[in-house]
Amino acid sequence: MTLARPLACLSLFMLPACGADPAPGPVEQMVVREPDAAPVAIAAAAGNDSPASALIAEGKAAFANCSVCHTAEQGAGNRAGPNLFGIVGQPAGRAAGFAYSDGLKTSGIVWTAAELDRFIANPAGRIPGTKMIAGGISDAAKRQAVIAYLESLTAS
Amino acid sequence: MSGTATDSPAKKGKWTRRAFIGAGVVAGGALVVGVAVRQGNPIDRLSPLLLTSGEDEQLLNAWVKVDADNIVTAVIPHVEMGQGVYTALAQMLADEMDADWNKVRIIEAPADKQYVSDSIGRDFLLPDLEVPALFEPTVAGGILELAQAMGLQFTGGSYSVRATGQRAMRTAGAAAREMLVAAAASEWQVPASEITTADSMILHAGSGKSEPFSKFALAAAEQGLPARPRLKSPENYRIMGQPKARHDIPEKVDGSAIFGIDARVPGMKYAAVRAAPVVGATVESMDATTARTMPGVLQILNMGDFVAVVADGYWQAQQALNSIDTKYSKTEADSLDQDAIFARYARYLDEAGEDGGDMETEEGDAAKGFAEAAIKVEAEYKVPFLAHATMEPMNCTAWVRDGKCDVWSGHQAPVNARQAAADAAGLSFEDVTYHNAYLGGGFGRRSESDNIVMATRIAKATGYPVKMIWSREEDMAQDHYRPSATSRFRGGLDKDGKAVSWSNIHTHLFDPKDAPTVPYYNIASYRIRKVDVPMQLRLGPWRSVDHSQHGFFIESFVDEMAHAAGKDGYAFRRELLAGSARHLKVLDTAAKMSGWGSALPERHGRGIAFVPSFGSIVAQIAEVDMSGPKPKVKKVYVAADPGFVINPDGFTAQMESAIAYGLTAALYGEITLGDGKVRQSNFHDYPMLRINEMPAVEVALINGDHERLGGGGEPGLPPIAPAVTNAIFAATGTRIRELPLSRHNFA
Repeated sequence: MTLARPLACLSLFMLPACGADPAPGPVEQMVVREPDAAPVAIAAAAGNDSPASALIAEGKAAFANCSVCHTAEQGAGNRAGPNLFGIVGQPAGRAAGFAYSDGLKTSGIVWTAAELDRFIANPAGRIPGTKMIAGGISDAAKRQAVIAYLESLTAS
Repeated sequence: MSGTATDSPAKKGKWTRRAFIGAGVVAGGALVVGVAVRQGNPIDRLSPLLLTSGEDEQLLNAWVKVDADNIVTAVIPHVEMGQGVYTALAQMLADEMDADWNKVRIIEAPADKQYVSDSIGRDFLLPDLEVPALFEPTVAGGILELAQAMGLQFTGGSYSVRATGQRAMRTAGAAAREMLVAAAASEWQVPASEITTADSMILHAGSGKSEPFSKFALAAAEQGLPARPRLKSPENYRIMGQPKARHDIPEKVDGSAIFGIDARVPGMKYAAVRAAPVVGATVESMDATTARTMPGVLQILNMGDFVAVVADGYWQAQQALNSIDTKYSKTEADSLDQDAIFARYARYLDEAGEDGGDMETEEGDAAKGFAEAAIKVEAEYKVPFLAHATMEPMNCTAWVRDGKCDVWSGHQAPVNARQAAADAAGLSFEDVTYHNAYLGGGFGRRSESDNIVMATRIAKATGYPVKMIWSREEDMAQDHYRPSATSRFRGGLDKDGKAVSWSNIHTHLFDPKDAPTVPYYNIASYRIRKVDVPMQLRLGPWRSVDHSQHGFFIESFVDEMAHAAGKDGYAFRRELLAGSARHLKVLDTAAKMSGWGSALPERHGRGIAFVPSFGSIVAQIAEVDMSGPKPKVKKVYVAADPGFVINPDGFTAQMESAIAYGLTAALYGEITLGDGKVRQSNFHDYPMLRINEMPAVEVALINGDHERLGGGGEPGLPPIAPAVTNAIFAATGTRIRELPLSRHNFA
């Protein structure tokens, strides 16, 4: 770990003229999909052709982050955030036993997909004083997936 | 090296100490004092990088700042890779400053060229010195090593404590203290000589006044700059020499420590890579039919020299990569195999003959000494290529967008990493932000930037942030290996068994230059030569660098000479070291600890080895049990003199870990080639020392010269292999001339 090797690198930056390695771009670049697009491959792997179920599957996977604070199973308790089972279509502030912020209780919001999308994008911006301290989901496609997952959670 | 030499300080004009310690003002009107690492004062630019808690915080110099809560923050221009450097360097600064150790914080210096300058070494070593032009090249050369070690933000060569700590951190601490005292003296209207400091407090006994450092942090900047801060002498050390607990341990225990591989960037995707297995080969074709249908896959890239799969998750990327069938171009290295390498070494050594190769050092007439010797000894030794096998796999996270690039990794030379990313992204150094994190093992591997370049190229192609992680197989196949080597010796002894001639020729390695030499051994004539052998394989520095090979070569041969002289290895080395009390003390201490000469059970043996390296003197005695089918190293006694031990607990841990690392190599370590490819792939065929194989290690520390410190990270390694093989000889009569030991059958 002495200096012989780093010196070789050193002379590169001290003498830029001696030429650092050019960094070649790809010889071949296959773009299977863009990062924000629905993950077709996952749906195919799951043996399910429906784009909707692919979206739900993606949303369920993304919900792993939300599940630190939220349960989503019917009858499961509240954590730092309320249970979200059947949330879509419900008025805000209705989960049993959860002490909502005043802002949320008096918001008059009904959790349509569009309202959920606005709120999840920026919780504290939409409802100042909300107890939801998570920063939200900035990725629109991921929000759609999470909402699709929440929408799929209904009493059967 | 020429790049630095032409930049030599003399050409920039007059150099004074004042150019080192400077003062300035940052936005908002806060006064700061800092280090002018070049002529001119870069502190205005540095301050925003270091002032993180607002204008209450005063930058006393580039290595220390004091905030309103009286917290002293040491800014460490070295990286932490488990060697405890943050703690040891902070101890050196805090002690000179009289800071309260419990209120010292540590941050790593940003990867900024302001921390990179050959001039800084000049200032520390030769303050206010006017050097006649005639001697300038010599002086510049002399400081080069030091300057590059600390100025370059390079962590390696066991340099941090002995160079940066001894020259920079202590000076910075002492200067900061003197400026604080001057500010208090001015405010209190008392002589500075009546003021004392302790535990981050400034005290005046006569008036009973006392205030925290923070009270005078701003006023300190208005004081005259100390031309030559006074450093403490050892009897006044309060923090240096103490076994202070490692600063980084709590977060490493609770898991909150962030290593390079822990980098997280919003929207980040993962890349798995596979490079061409033979040096110089390119990807001729790849069949990704299956990969592109696999879960999570985003992109499949043929980068020419490697293939990458980018996916939502690392596992998905690696699985898809595994399914890709790749064909590579032919290269001249395709035929390289293990036997051919050592045959090549032998051919070059043979061709060098009696007078070829490059002379490294010569004294007296070694040929004549050998010809006239009463007893002649000849031997040839071989050691293999080795991998670094860092616990944290090689990785790098990069994001190239909008003409900027951010890179996250753990690197031993952050500024080099930043430059490598800039080159790979086609951007300027200034457009790249490099974020360094803890290194999960370095050992020299993380002084290379190949991982930085690969990740940056992938990120540039995709446009989104990508974390590239190498599999263990990739790490094993694409390392920059410790060079293999062959070394041949001739030794002559007179009729009394006194060494009179020492000749050595070996295949060339890297550095340090003193690794093949034995100036501490009193032998009448020396002749040491090297031969350069071309090798189509990536090679790199490995913990203790050339001392790892030469330590084994030299100490094995000394033992063979002792045996030929009919003397015991310890007594023979005592004769060779006669005249150097400091060296003898280290040797004697180890011998005494081990009970050298006392009886051992059947087929047990003791072996001794003595290797000064990186400024530290280390003797080790291994006790080996050869009653089973393979060597069992039961105990290792270590005596070490690094001049002065800054942190005894940390230094001892470095001796122990060097033994674990070196013993792994001695017992098992071997990278071999077949068809130009590395044959080993993971820990099943490149084993590590297991916990049940770890010997008990007993370490004695000796403070032999507090003014010239030696390193700690590497010097514990070179003696372990020869100590073990010399013990095997003592137990069995079998002389080991080739490593690793797993090649030998002891049944």
